Amino acid sequence: MSYSDKVLDHYNNPRNVGSFAKDDPSVGTGVVGAPECGDVMKLQLRISDDGVIEDAKFKTFGCGSAIASSSYVTELVKGKKIDEAMAIKNTVIVKELNLPPVKIHCSVLAEDAIKAAITDWKKRKGDTREAAAAEPAKAHKG
Amino acid sequence: MVECPSCGRRQEPRLICETCATPLGVELDCFAALGLPKKLAIEPGAIERVYHELSRRIHPDRYAQAPVRVRDASLRSTALLTRSYRTLRDPLDRGKYWLELRGEKLSDDNKQVPPEIAETVFEVQEHLADLREAIRADPARARALGDELETRRAALQTMMNDYQIALGGNFVLWDLGRSNAKDLAAELKLILSNIAYLRTLMRDVDLGLGSLKAA
Repeated sequence: MSYSDKVLDHYNNPRNVGSFAKDDPSVGTGVVGAPECGDVMKLQLRISDDGVIEDAKFKTFGCGSAIASSSYVTELVKGKKIDEAMAIKNTVIVKELNLPPVKIHCSVLAEDAIKAAITDWKKRKGDTREAAAAEPAKAHKG
Repeated sequence: MVECPSCGRRQEPRLICETCATPLGVELDCFAALGLPKKLAIEPGAIERVYHELSRRIHPDRYAQAPVRVRDASLRSTALLTRSYRTLRDPLDRGKYWLELRGEKLSDDNKQVPPEIAETVFEVQEHLADLREAIRADPARARALGDELETRRAALQTMMNDYQIALGGNFVLWDLGRSNAKDLAAELKLILSNIAYLRTLMRDVDLGLGSLKAA
């Protein structure tokens, strides 16, 4: 199997490798894995209060296609609203990177990573609100 | 029922004819192909023994002068036997195959990396990235990082041994047949995934240690 030029480009010059501080409330982190091949992908999105993805970083340990898929996804989601990003299908990644059938699961992994990161961000937002709402109640008790 | 291509005897599907020992050339599950009971816990060495014995008996060279349909059957049975041997000899592949027989895939509903595994993967991969950088820029630091990595590798190997033991325990529970199959399948998926993540990580560690030695 040979990789397409676009996969090689993302693999050799991956965009947006790295991570944001995990405890930053505006950052959602998605860690997903492909148990069939042991690949692990971490995608982090910095999302504004009105739900726009401002920045993205990834760390992926696995094959070239998994790295290329996550690298491409960080470019793709920037500037998108979270519901637009949630609607991104793996087929877009397959098409852009020209992935062969045996590597389609890498694009599925990248799609899952977006969803996991946004879900994490929503959960943390919710938790922060709940925590804020819970505090006065606590004060009453005391 | 299938018919022997050599003596014509009709029988249940199996690898070789019960009457004349000619390969029947029919599809079988991997356990049946090797004549093993459908049990997950297999004594080490048993698969090799059975495989070598059977492959000698059905080898295409033995049927070079036989009629075409017998030769074809020998080729098909030999391919099946080899595929079955390769699938069952490694406990990880054997467990995956067991899930397949149940109509499940390891990746079904299984994208979450267990947090302790994810943490280990990221920590060790950071270490590897530092090592790669140091190999280029700072040989003394690279050696120190390499020594630490050897220690880490030993810890990973211990984790791997624990998972292999857990896998063996899960296999025994399947074979006893007294536990809830759904629970056992969920546990099996978790153990197999952990082994797969750890195996990939250890492969990367070995590549890193290899490039340090080469430098």
